[in-house]
Amino acid sequence: MTMMIEYFKLAFKNLKTRRLRNWLTILGIVVGVFLVVTLISLSGGIRDTIMKQLKSLGGDVIFVLPGSMDSPMSLVGGEKLSKEDLSVIKKVKGVDIVLPMSYSSKIMRYKNEQKIVFLTGVPWGEGIEILTIFQGWSLSQGEWPKPGKRELIIGSLVAKEDFFGKEIKTGDEAIINGKRFKIVGILDSLGSKSDDTAVYLDLSIFQQVTGDREGGAQAAMVKIGDGANVDKVAKEIEGALDEVRKRKRGEDVSSFSVLTSDKMGNIVGGIMGIIQASVIAFAAIAILVGGLGIMNSMFTAVRERTREIGLLKAIGAKNSAVISIFLIEAGIIGLIGGMGGVVLGLVIAKAIELYGQVHPMFYLEAYMPIGLIIFSLFFSVLIGCLSGYFPARKASKLSPTEALRSYE
Amino acid sequence: MEEAVIRLENVQKVYQLGNIDVPALRGIDLEIFPGSFVTIMGTSGSGKSTLLNIIGCLDSPSKGKVFLDNKDTSLLSENKLAQIRGKKIGFIFQQFNLLQNLSALENVMIPMIFQGISEEKRIERAEHLLRQIGLENRMNHLPSELSGGERQRVAIARAFANKPKLVIADEPTGNLDSNSGKNVMEILTEFHKKEQGTLVVVTHDLMIAEYSEKIFHIKDGRIVPNHIQTEKIL
Repeated sequence: MTMMIEYFKLAFKNLKTRRLRNWLTILGIVVGVFLVVTLISLSGGIRDTIMKQLKSLGGDVIFVLPGSMDSPMSLVGGEKLSKEDLSVIKKVKGVDIVLPMSYSSKIMRYKNEQKIVFLTGVPWGEGIEILTIFQGWSLSQGEWPKPGKRELIIGSLVAKEDFFGKEIKTGDEAIINGKRFKIVGILDSLGSKSDDTAVYLDLSIFQQVTGDREGGAQAAMVKIGDGANVDKVAKEIEGALDEVRKRKRGEDVSSFSVLTSDKMGNIVGGIMGIIQASVIAFAAIAILVGGLGIMNSMFTAVRERTREIGLLKAIGAKNSAVISIFLIEAGIIGLIGGMGGVVLGLVIAKAIELYGQVHPMFYLEAYMPIGLIIFSLFFSVLIGCLSGYFPARKASKLSPTEALRSYE
Repeated sequence: MEEAVIRLENVQKVYQLGNIDVPALRGIDLEIFPGSFVTIMGTSGSGKSTLLNIIGCLDSPSKGKVFLDNKDTSLLSENKLAQIRGKKIGFIFQQFNLLQNLSALENVMIPMIFQGISEEKRIERAEHLLRQIGLENRMNHLPSELSGGERQRVAIARAFANKPKLVIADEPTGNLDSNSGKNVMEILTEFHKKEQGTLVVVTHDLMIAEYSEKIFHIKDGRIVPNHIQTEKIL
């Protein structure tokens, strides 16, 4: 053990002499570790943020979407829930309120500015209760629109000056698809940029404006009655929709999804898991490249220091001593690189988090568990030692006479 | 009769260059006794460096036996040899071979590290040795800040660090001008007397050989009788 301390001292002295090259080698590791830490920290943060938003939806709400979760493309496709689907859902036992929702991107004109907004149609009559009580919507200004009137409420960001160039006040008018609307209310922030930049109106008006005469919806939010079991109701909705589709339309593929917030959490978790795994894989490659840098650096060091190794062996260094010194050098390079990478990674992740607080589009909290830090440090030392091993072994196997004969 | 520090029995060494066997030593018998100062002389290619490497346990013979302190070392493993070298043998090289990134003091301390000597004792011993060679004011200088003669003096101090039974010097003055060379030889002989070790020097410089008590002449891998060789050189 005391020997190891001596070897550490020697290794440190050796590292100090070849500063530039060692710093470059360390930089290689820093980049790799920094990538790992930042990417894991951010993707973890995104997952946590999404999970938090899902939780805020509440457990008693079920979402029904057209398109199957098995083929994700159908989710973004043009499929819709028909009027018939909606009435079937309404009849399922335990369902209290069914809130159909439709959305579409439209150009909105305010004063002389035009902007694309996310237009969302919701039936105000049935919807207000779910939205205010269960989803926590509230108005910062004005009042809720009356059903059947050409009245809009707008997300908090739409009202801001930097959206349309002028701050929007209740009572102002805006034009969508050539039709004139009165802005009657401004929402408090809903917590996500996409919600806060949307414009909301009554579903029936939405259908008029967009020329949709079928009366379906792109999604439905289902509020279950008191005492009903979410999962059971979700199952029954699924069964009812399946049956209606098979019987009336002869379809045998269920092209809809019934999602509880738990289920959505699982889906999001699964997707984020895949993203994180691939992020880790890429970052691991980056660290590996850094490891090759260490290996290269150590091999060069062995060649340069052949005489030195010969001398150490001549004056009594065993093979194990030579291996130890070289491994410690490589390990130190790995450790310093790892520490640099962790610090840089955490700083960048934190900076993005702070940026996200100003620009809600990037809203997320950086995820930095202590385990991630320890793992990164451990991993970089390991890579350092692994890549130092072969050069070290080569160094230790030199015969002292031959090593001493070589010229610098 | 006194036991020899090192005894070689019919030592042969053959190097292989491709498919050709090149004999460097063709059967050497020799004994070196404790406390003596021996010179090995010969022209380049005579096998004197090979002989020195074998005496210093840096290399093993192809045939024959080497006894260090009456123990056969010709069959020992590399790690065992390293241990023996560290404990019993000190080396002085023509190229000095100091570690460039360590100070004079640290260079002298290195052999003691591998013997597990405590730092306190290492410093004490190294300072003592450096004072003896007159480098007490340059202990913390790097080799690059020392002259050739000073470097070789540091190397001498290093060779004596573990109080070895045998100190081996390979052309110790080969890289020095005659003044520094003389100075180095004086220090070497002085150390030899003070530290009571056995000193083996390889050289082709007769001036150096004159410091020693006994000269072995080597030619074509064999020890040749003294007078013939001396006549030739003179």
